[in-house]
Amino acid sequence: MPDGQGPAEQAGAEQPATEQPAAGAQHFDAPAGFTTDSADSWHRVHPISPLVKGWIAIVAVVFIFGRNALESSFRGEGTGDIPPLFLGLGIGALVIVLGVGFYLSWLFTRYQVTDREVRLNTGVIFKQQRHARIDRVQAIDVVQPLLARVFGLAELKFDVADAGKSAFKLSYLRLSEAKRLRAAILARAAGVSVDPQSPHEVIEAPEREVVSIGAGRIIAAAFVSSGPVIFILSLGAAAYIYHLTQSMAAIFAMLPAVIGAFSIVWQRLVTDFNFKVAISADGVRLHYGMLETRSQTIPPGRVQAVGISQGPLQRIFGWYKVNVNVAGFGDATNAKESNRSVILPVGKLPEVMTVLQLIFPDPGVENPFEVFEAGLKGPGNRQGFVHSPRSAIFIDPLSWRYNAFRATKTALLCRHGIIFRRLEVVPHERTQSLSLYQGPLMAMFGLVDFQLHSTVGPLRPTVRHMALKTGLELFDEQAERAATARRIHNKEHWLENSAPVPSQEQIHGE
Amino acid sequence: MPEKSVRSFRKRRSAIDPANVTFLHVSDKLSVARLVVGGISALFYLAIACIPLALRKFANMTFIPDIVIWGLPAFVLLITLWVFLLIPRQVRAIGYAERNEDLLIRTGIIFHKVMVVPYGRMQYIDVTMGPLERMLGISTLHLHTASPGTNAKLYGVPSAEADRLREQLSARGEAKLAGL
Repeated sequence: MPDGQGPAEQAGAEQPATEQPAAGAQHFDAPAGFTTDSADSWHRVHPISPLVKGWIAIVAVVFIFGRNALESSFRGEGTGDIPPLFLGLGIGALVIVLGVGFYLSWLFTRYQVTDREVRLNTGVIFKQQRHARIDRVQAIDVVQPLLARVFGLAELKFDVADAGKSAFKLSYLRLSEAKRLRAAILARAAGVSVDPQSPHEVIEAPEREVVSIGAGRIIAAAFVSSGPVIFILSLGAAAYIYHLTQSMAAIFAMLPAVIGAFSIVWQRLVTDFNFKVAISADGVRLHYGMLETRSQTIPPGRVQAVGISQGPLQRIFGWYKVNVNVAGFGDATNAKESNRSVILPVGKLPEVMTVLQLIFPDPGVENPFEVFEAGLKGPGNRQGFVHSPRSAIFIDPLSWRYNAFRATKTALLCRHGIIFRRLEVVPHERTQSLSLYQGPLMAMFGLVDFQLHSTVGPLRPTVRHMALKTGLELFDEQAERAATARRIHNKEHWLENSAPVPSQEQIHGE
Repeated sequence: MPEKSVRSFRKRRSAIDPANVTFLHVSDKLSVARLVVGGISALFYLAIACIPLALRKFANMTFIPDIVIWGLPAFVLLITLWVFLLIPRQVRAIGYAERNEDLLIRTGIIFHKVMVVPYGRMQYIDVTMGPLERMLGISTLHLHTASPGTNAKLYGVPSAEADRLREQLSARGEAKLAGL
C-alpha cells in the first residue's frame, strides 16, 4: 500500500523538507553533546549511502556494458552495431536513472532516536515504518564494510529479541554519528538517562580493552581448522583415484573441495583478524574484521547462554572458542551472521576465563577458575561435577565420564564429549523451559537426558545420559532455581535502581 | 469447568515423571480424531500398495511376483493395525499439571518426555481447532516461549478446559512475567 501511511506520514514528510537540512548539518558538525530527538525531528542517513549499498549493481552494469564495448572494439568493429551516440545516451540515461533512484531512496530514508524508541522510515513506493523499543535492545553492532570504511561511514545495526529476523539497520552514518547513537541507545536501554542538568546529553561510556588476539594466532588458528583437513583429505582422495584410474579428471573433480577448503581458511582469517574484547559500562564490546570491521556491543544480562568448545586440533595448542546465545542474533544460518555469536574465536585458558568473568561477573562459586577448568577438561567428578553413571558406558563408551553437569548458585554448567569438548553455561534466570527425555535404550540402562531450552542460537544446552535419580532431582531443583532467579533478576534496565555505574576495576574484579 | 472429561492420572506412570505430581488426562476424543486421520491416511497408503495388484489385473503385467502383490497391502495393513493399537495408549500417556510456578507436560509411552514451562516465560499461547477437532469438541494448546526448543503442544484438550487453561495461563504469565 503505497499511500497507506496517511496524514501522519504527509505531515512528517513536509517538515523535514523545510528545516531538516540545516538541523542535519548542524548535527553532523557538532561532535560533542548528542541529544535525543523529539517526536517530529527526523534525520537522514549520509547522502552517499545508496551508492555504498548499491555499488555492486553499478559494477555489474559497467562490467557487462564495458565488456561488450571492449570486445567489439578489439574485434576492430568500433563499438559494434550500436552507434557511439546511442551508447553514450544509454550510459547517460543509466546514470540518470540510477542517480534519481539513489536520490529518492536517500530522500525517503529517515530515522529518529527518541527516549523510548528508534524509528526508521524507508521506501519510495512501498513504505515501511519501523519502531523498536529501546529497552528491548539485545545487541548493537557498528559495521563498516570495506567501501564504507573508505568514506568513513558505518552501519548501525540494532537487534531486538526476535531471533535475528528483523534487525534494524541504519546505513550509512558517519562513524562518529553511529557511535554517538549507539551510546545514546545503550544509555537509555540501561535506564541511566536522568541527569537533571542536561537530561538529553549522552556521553559515550569509556571502554577498556581486556583481551586482544595477535595476528599470529589468528593466522595459525585459521590453518588449524577444518579447511586444511578437507584440503589434505581431498588431496589424498585425488591421488588415490588418480592412482587407480590414471585419469586427470580425478584431480579436477577435487577442485571444488580444495576451493572450499581455502575459502574456510580465508573466511576465518578475514573475520577474526584483529579480534579484541573490551568492557564498558554498556556491556561487552567486541571489535574484529580485516576488510569489513565490526564492533559489537552486548549489554549485560543479554547473554542467554555461553558455550566454550575445543576440537582435537585445537587441544594441541590449548585453544578454545567461546560462543554465546543472544536473543537478537538468531540461528547460524549464514556464515556472516553466525560469526556474531562468537565472542572469542581462539583463546587460551586465561583469556577464556577473563571473557567468562565479563559475561558472568558472578559465577556463584568461590573458586570459579578451578570449577570452569574442571568443566573444560574433565573427566570425573572433580569440583562438584556429576557425570553419567557407569551403566552409560554401553552408550558412551569413551565419554561417559566426561558428560557431566554442575549447578552453581547462579548458573548450570554442562560438560560434554571427549574428542570435541564442550562446556555450556546457562544462568538460572535465563532458563526458558526444561525437559526430560528417555528413549527405550536409555530406559534399559536407567538413563535420562536433561534439556535446557535457551533462545535461538548456536547452543542447545543438554545434559546427556544422567542416572535416572540424578536427572529427576536436577529437573526439580533446576525448575526451582530458575523460578527463584527469575524473581530476583526481573528487570530489563540493567543499571536502573542499582548502585552507581560499576567502575572498570569492579567489573574486571582485580 | 468440565470435570467429567478431566480425569486424574493414576496408572501408567513412567520412570521420569516427577514425584508428587498428579497429571491430568487429555480427552479420549483425541484418540477418535487420531484414528480418523490415521484411517484416512491408511486408506491412501493402501491404495498405493494395491497398484501392483491393479497392474496385473488390468494391464496384464503377469511378471509381478505374488509376494509383491499381496505383501505390500498386508504390510500396510499390519502397520495400520499397530498404529491403531498404539494411538489410544499414546493419548492416555499425554498429561499435564499446573503447578505454582510452571506447567508440566508429559508425553510418550516408549519415548518418554516431560517438559516444564514456567508461566513467567510464556510469550503467547495458541489455541487451535481444526474441523475434526471442532466436531469432537477438543482443541490444541500451543505454548510459546522465547526458545524454539520449547515444543509445548498439548493436543486434545476439551474446548472449555482449553479456554479455562488459556485464561489461567495468561493470567499467571502476566503475574509472573519475566523479561527474556
